Amino acid sequence: MKVTVKLIGPLIYEGGFSERELELPGPMTAAELSAYVKIDQKRPTIITRNGKAAAPADVVKDGDRVVISHIYSGG
Amino acid sequence: MKGWTGYILRVNLTDKTWKKESFTEEFAQKWVGGRGFAAKILFDELKPGIDPLGPENKLVVALGPIAGIPAPNTGKVVVAAKSPLTGFYGDGNLGSRVSDQLRKAGYDALIVEGKADKPVYLNIEDDKVEFLDAAEMWGKGTYHSNEWIYAKYGKNVGVLNIGQAGENKVLYAVIRSLEGRAGGRPGIGAVMGSKMLKAIVVKGTKQIPQHDADLMRKLGVEGLKKARELDQKSGWSKQSTDAVLGWCNEVNGLPVQNMRHTSHPEAYKLDGEHLNDARIATYGCPSCTMHCGITIHDKEGRESELDYENIGMLGPNINVFDLKQVGSLNYLCDDYGLDTISAGAVLGFYGDAIERGAAKGDFKFGDAEKGKTLLWDIATRKGEAGNLLADGALRAAKVYGNNSADYAMQVKGLEMAAYNCKSIPGQALAFGVAAIGGHHREAWIITFELKHSKRESYGPEKAAKVIELQRIRGGLFEMLVACRFPWVEVGYELENYPKFFNAVTGLDWTLENFWTAADRAYSMIKLHYLREFPEVTRKDDYPPAVWFDKSNADTEGPQKGVVLEYDKYDSLLQHYYDQRGYDKRGIPTMETLKKLGLEAEAAAASKTAKLN
Ligand code: SF4
Repeated sequence: MKVTVKLIGPLIYEGGFSERELELPGPMTAAELSAYVKIDQKRPTIITRNGKAAAPADVVKDGDRVVISHIYSGG
Repeated sequence: MKGWTGYILRVNLTDKTWKKESFTEEFAQKWVGGRGFAAKILFDELKPGIDPLGPENKLVVALGPIAGIPAPNTGKVVVAAKSPLTGFYGDGNLGSRVSDQLRKAGYDALIVEGKADKPVYLNIEDDKVEFLDAAEMWGKGTYHSNEWIYAKYGKNVGVLNIGQAGENKVLYAVIRSLEGRAGGRPGIGAVMGSKMLKAIVVKGTKQIPQHDADLMRKLGVEGLKKARELDQKSGWSKQSTDAVLGWCNEVNGLPVQNMRHTSHPEAYKLDGEHLNDARIATYGCPSCTMHCGITIHDKEGRESELDYENIGMLGPNINVFDLKQVGSLNYLCDDYGLDTISAGAVLGFYGDAIERGAAKGDFKFGDAEKGKTLLWDIATRKGEAGNLLADGALRAAKVYGNNSADYAMQVKGLEMAAYNCKSIPGQALAFGVAAIGGHHREAWIITFELKHSKRESYGPEKAAKVIELQRIRGGLFEMLVACRFPWVEVGYELENYPKFFNAVTGLDWTLENFWTAADRAYSMIKLHYLREFPEVTRKDDYPPAVWFDKSNADTEGPQKGVVLEYDKYDSLLQHYYDQRGYDKRGIPTMETLKKLGLEAEAAAASKTAKLN
């Protein structure tokens, strides 16, 4: 299963990439994908799937674009 | 009284006089400082209906009880006046050494009245005030005048200055400081220019009175260390505020082409990663360990300090996706003393008006070079377009006709910051009910809307969140006068701020006390609005019509076909009014005003307008 993961802001330094197409070893939830790309799970994040907010338990599907971002507060 | 110096410096430019005035402890505790002081002083001292660019307007520079004392991030000042852009109370904050220098000179606020007969600058040194000739600086940009002042007085003085935009009374001219910071979006720089006041220089040598200076020193130093640790742990300042650009683009919240579109395939070229890669230096305000100002070389090789708002509005909002060109546009705004948000919104509006056939001109979206020329024309009010655009998007729209006001991206005349909210109702509300017009400073709830509510919800939880953030961001931080970023961006705990306040004042306040004070300041600003616009309606709290226009919805992507809905927005607004204790026009009721101890102000407002 292939998904595109885009990391935002300081997460790119944590995950080691900015945007990457990944072949996943198996089905994953949004939270599992976040851990899989080495984002500190204690960090407050917001995850979107194809532009819409995803809950941690939402299952990621083949072809999805998943964006993981630190929670911002709009400056 | 401890914490406050207890004095205000009042300067009159017409007759070159000044006096030191004391204020009471009751006044201090009721209005705290910063925005609270400014809103109250201007309400008491300005007659409704005065010309904001006439000598009867007053410029207030206001500080709070922790301003200028080392702690996170206390190097800020509030500048305020009746706004020439919006026609009622306007303010803004900026990083400046005026924060500590004015307090050390012995004042919590400065009121500037009247008008000089030729360009002057003020030099304030403790109990001495000089009115000095500013001819050498007049007509020059803010970089030149700030350097001129540093060469004469050294770099430790506090400086507030304006550029050509302020001198020429551009209605969104800002006040600048520290060669990189700007504040007073609703034309507070134009008020300074209207008074022929080029700059204010402040030096103080006294001690700021504190109840327990040792405790405050300990708390402040620990706080600065903690804010730095939190920043380093989260990595926030690697990209600072611009980290949000990529996210806005991904969630369809980016201002593209006068906010007609919500994302763009080239937007990533301006994101925080690219900004950090292009970084040549980092700057910050005094008493800050997070330094969020990232500078790059602009197209012409100058140093330009960028953040998200100026990139968003001078980049995608006018379809410029070359970071160096955005840097150039930003540099020019900074040098001329133009507000970058309004400048980007005005250029976007102009490009849109030309495309719609409502205006004539040769500016096209994406044309950074023409944008540079236009910024100069605006700053100097040169030519028909420059002169008109200098009055802001709403006034230009009224001249262009053709429903142009629907496409002027502003609320109450103040151009909105870089968030495209046609499918984000809660943040649209936040703009609609921001105290001084379309500002993002007071409430930003987009991540809350997506994560803890539903994006499409118009429910009371969003109104509650806007109020919660207004109390914190627009209240606590603007009244104590400190930067909100340690709390909003890296999670430095809010509970620390009452501790600072109590250490310097000897009082025993909790956050609840600040929420009451914040509500009082908001109501005060609402009374300013009512007094200037007695015919106020709830429509004044609506964002621009284009955000409700189905034909302007995204044509693809996850928000395809989605725009704000009038009925639902109106009910969201009603939730906000109900929770705030405001009437159907969005004005505090008599009962609310009474609860906040604003009986005298209510009586004053009732002379010319109706209260319910
Ligand atoms: S975080 Fe940025 S805006 Fe806030 S005080 Fe520091 S440098 Fe100034």
